Amino acid sequence: MATDKLEEIKTAVESRFGDSILSFDTKDGRIVLKVSAQASHEVLSLLKDLGFEHLSDVTGTDYIKDGEFEIAYHLWSHAKKIRAIQKIRISRESPVVKSIVDLWPGAQIHEREDHELFGIDFVGNPDLSPLFLEDWKEIPPFRKDFDTREYVKRRYYGD
Amino acid sequence: MATNNLEESEISFITIPFGPQHPASGHFHAKVKVDGENVVDLVAYPGYLHRGFEKLMEYRTHVQNTMLSDRVCILDPFSNEMAYVNVTELAVGIEAPLRGKFIRSIMAELGRILSHVTWIGITSMALGLESGTRISWGDREKIIRIQEILTGGRIYPCYYVPGGVRRDFSQEHIDEIFKLLDYIEKAMKLYDDLVFYNTTFMTRMENVGTLTKEDAIALGATGPNLRACGVAADVRVDEPYDGYPYVNVDVVTMEKGDSYARSLCRRGEIITSISIIRQLLEKMPAGDFKVKWAMTKKVPAGEAYFCCEAARGELCFHMVSDGSDKPYRVKIRGPSFSHALAIFPFLVRGSQLADVPAIYWSLDSCPADMDR
Amino acid sequence: MSKLLPRPIRSKGDAAANSLWVINYFTACGFMELLPWVGSGYDMERFGILAVATPRHADVLIVAGYVTEKAVSRIKRIYDQMASPKYVMALGSCPMTGGMYWDSYSTVKRIDKYIPVDLWVLGCPPKPENIGHGIVMAMNAIKGGFGGH
Repeated sequence: MATDKLEEIKTAVESRFGDSILSFDTKDGRIVLKVSAQASHEVLSLLKDLGFEHLSDVTGTDYIKDGEFEIAYHLWSHAKKIRAIQKIRISRESPVVKSIVDLWPGAQIHEREDHELFGIDFVGNPDLSPLFLEDWKEIPPFRKDFDTREYVKRRYYGD
Repeated sequence: MATNNLEESEISFITIPFGPQHPASGHFHAKVKVDGENVVDLVAYPGYLHRGFEKLMEYRTHVQNTMLSDRVCILDPFSNEMAYVNVTELAVGIEAPLRGKFIRSIMAELGRILSHVTWIGITSMALGLESGTRISWGDREKIIRIQEILTGGRIYPCYYVPGGVRRDFSQEHIDEIFKLLDYIEKAMKLYDDLVFYNTTFMTRMENVGTLTKEDAIALGATGPNLRACGVAADVRVDEPYDGYPYVNVDVVTMEKGDSYARSLCRRGEIITSISIIRQLLEKMPAGDFKVKWAMTKKVPAGEAYFCCEAARGELCFHMVSDGSDKPYRVKIRGPSFSHALAIFPFLVRGSQLADVPAIYWSLDSCPADMDR
Repeated sequence: MSKLLPRPIRSKGDAAANSLWVINYFTACGFMELLPWVGSGYDMERFGILAVATPRHADVLIVAGYVTEKAVSRIKRIYDQMASPKYVMALGSCPMTGGMYWDSYSTVKRIDKYIPVDLWVLGCPPKPENIGHGIVMAMNAIKGGFGGH
């Protein structure tokens, strides 16, 4: 049954990585796991071997009060029909994380978008040039210290 | 042939722009490097429609955001509304009543038919079969009139709210929908002759842009593009939501993975949508169509994820809330992001220059969905 | 009998008004209500309006919907490449005042700071009947001698 499959995955992941797995939740038939940033690439590689072959998204969130960025990797398994979300936290002052293009080639553009909008550096991504904005001189726009209304009032409605 | 005698230094490549202003490109820019007629490489430059939606949503309350979420994908507004409203309901912890869920699914399927009919028109225009464009965009008017009668909006309906829908259906509305379904079934015979089984269309689309199953999964394909490669993945069946657990969804798959297979998958989806709407209308329960939820209520802190099947593929919303009445972070995963930026440059290499619009529109990417 | 024959072209204004060629540029969401005009719903070809591919053949530039910072330099280039006399029509509330995306960091709030605009049509997006009213107003003005720029 579905809960057995979830338990199998939990055992496989926790037995191999132990302390690096900060939490492993299986509520509502979905897996949400929090992992330390150093082990992130290996855990994702194990999840890919366990059948999570479809990468949906690489999401960034700015937790300015904690001084951290959170990156969430959304995975889906076509065979088992289970959704898994892996989350890691990295420092906001120097946001560097290893890229996952060697596991999923389709991750390259998702990381490029997060680089432009948050300023996160993905080591190993072949192309991190700007995607949406041209000649952007302010800080990355999706950070919480960028107030878009104040910027618009200053730039467009100033006169 | 002269090519055998050309020195390496004499072979030169030309770079041709495909868009942003181009009769067959939408508002999307790509630079195509060609060697004669063969395409060597393609680099995509998106961003002409970027508005920063996810940032704008952080400044508005949840009900104001339902009006904004329509406009994420211009060609398929109901899917984005559906996803936003469902993810808010998951975050708040309420559930719409059954009649509201059925109405939402009926409108979502009508929106899917509308999107595919628009797709028929715009692909015909890109390939040069103008009669397909003129007729399908005229038929589109009939679907839009029904949408206007039911929801009040022609293009951007703003019909869903967290907790249900804004207005109820009456019996006259249901009769109009049945008449529309009969009309579309008759019109499909015309589209079969004019477009789908037309020799010109088949010649231009068969064996063009073939995508294998492994490449499709590795690059992030979803929706009809993935089903044309033989993978039966459909969010309405895998993780059913709203009215879909109560009906039988017929998932159409093809084997070959070329542009023609993708077109036939979309044709099959129109027929599946008609059957889903008929089943939902027969089983429609009586009762409330929405749950009362105050417009300025605060959402408890936490996270919610929701995926739905838009006309173009898998559409996911990830919402983080911090206890106030505005979301802290909303991430929208549009289906066209991977299709146009990861799969399109990969498929075009090695094909002919005249196939570039055919491949682009067979992937059905909406530039607004890609840029958000 | 003379009522059935087509009316003769008596002036340059008549010729221009009955053959307005629009450049084929699918800008943004305001464009969705031009699709019935292209298709058989409202059919612009009976007014002599065609969609052409190159700016050199076009008379009218329709800015339908919002314009981002990245696109505005391209629109300006297309406007400069069109041959005089030319006309510009802005559809929707976004090119007028910023519209719904007034607080977006990447959209342009007033298009007439970049190119001169002759006709504004209000709506979000404007209904096809609205656009038709605008087109007829433009045609009458051109027949009456409005020279464009």
